Amino acid sequence: MAILKLYGWPESTATWRVAIVLHEAKVPFEFVNVNILNADYKTPEYLEKQPFGQIPYIDDDGFILFESRAIGRYIAAEHPESKLIPTDPKKHALFEQAASIEFANFDFNADPLIKALARKRFLGQDSDQAPLDAKMETLEGRLDVYEKILAKQRYIAGDEITLADLFHLPRAQFIETYIKSGVMTSSSRPHVARWYDELLSRPSWKAFEGGVKGILEY
Amino acid sequence: MVLKFYAPQFVGGGIAIVALALAEKQAAFEFVPINMAVKEHKTAEYMAMNPFGQVPAINDDGFAMYESRAICRYLDERFADQGATLVPKAMKERAVVEQAISVESMTFSPPLSKVVGELVVKVRRGLTPDQALADEGLKEISDKLDVYEVILAKHNYLAGDNFTLADLVHYAYAPMLAEKGVDIMTVKERPNVARWWNELMSRPTWVKLKAEGMKSTV
Repeated sequence: MAILKLYGWPESTATWRVAIVLHEAKVPFEFVNVNILNADYKTPEYLEKQPFGQIPYIDDDGFILFESRAIGRYIAAEHPESKLIPTDPKKHALFEQAASIEFANFDFNADPLIKALARKRFLGQDSDQAPLDAKMETLEGRLDVYEKILAKQRYIAGDEITLADLFHLPRAQFIETYIKSGVMTSSSRPHVARWYDELLSRPSWKAFEGGVKGILEY
Repeated sequence: MVLKFYAPQFVGGGIAIVALALAEKQAAFEFVPINMAVKEHKTAEYMAMNPFGQVPAINDDGFAMYESRAICRYLDERFADQGATLVPKAMKERAVVEQAISVESMTFSPPLSKVVGELVVKVRRGLTPDQALADEGLKEISDKLDVYEVILAKHNYLAGDNFTLADLVHYAYAPMLAEKGVDIMTVKERPNVARWWNELMSRPTWVKLKAEGMKSTV
């Protein structure tokens, strides 16, 4: 059986998201660099695999899959020993709730902030600051709710770590590092800070601190 | 105690998705209207169920949860032996459904919310829509639908030949476009998308929901 191949960009948050899950599940993989500066994601060969022209995607012995969260779920299902998705029905439902919170409340508000920074960095384009400030305020408002949730339980879906926590990590780290320091670490939200810190200290994060690369052996 | 479904009487957004899933799963439920105009979604009682103070929420005999897509998945498991299967069990089939669900929330929904924000929400509040912003959103949606056209040439629905949660999540906002005279989902230049969308709009559970609104089954 061929080794799993991850096609992406070493610093892309979505590529990171997949790499973290692969590491948590101890899945060996090859990393194939898609040169985003060269728009390699727009070639006909690439579009055949990922028709939306986005990164990343995986090739698991011929099975092509894109969307980092879908890939994460697939890896977790293929490797139930990793326990990244609970099997107990109620815990599973709460996991799904947490996974939905991640994209609907966190990512939905983080995305415009991250895209604005990318436009500045890669295209030299400035963005209207007022709507971005409003988004940051909304994001922090959501994190105030995370604070209440994480005061009662260790992780976002319950007392055990799940994909829902891991899904947050790349963009949480990106916002904290490049957009507004303190969003995730402020002492005004000590439980969020504790949770964030725990995630950052996991080997699956540390393994890719310098950027995503393949791992052949664990 | 029969399942309780908490939402305003509004067939749209996450509310529509859950209402439709309840119908698809032939689930018995009590509809508990939430009057958002008087902030019933911000009471301590409601926020004990959903700390984000958002709608909808369900309470299944003491088990409360929120986030519409998570609720749909819970209903699919809870009423596994009834109605349509929203998420298949077979691993690769399931992965493809997850991929399509992720595309809707990450790729399709953001530009759609731009358009709906201008043409539906602002108009409802008596404000003047920013047509340039709406047009920007429509162009983005059109680009994504060009890819849907390729995908829907291969099978009847987004993730295969059966209706799944991937199709169901599209009922949240896109139906509002036609109501505003925007026919982007049915243009003849994309015959596969038009076929798929017309099927979704004529699906009996949706037709009934649009005609009658949310009603307790008990």
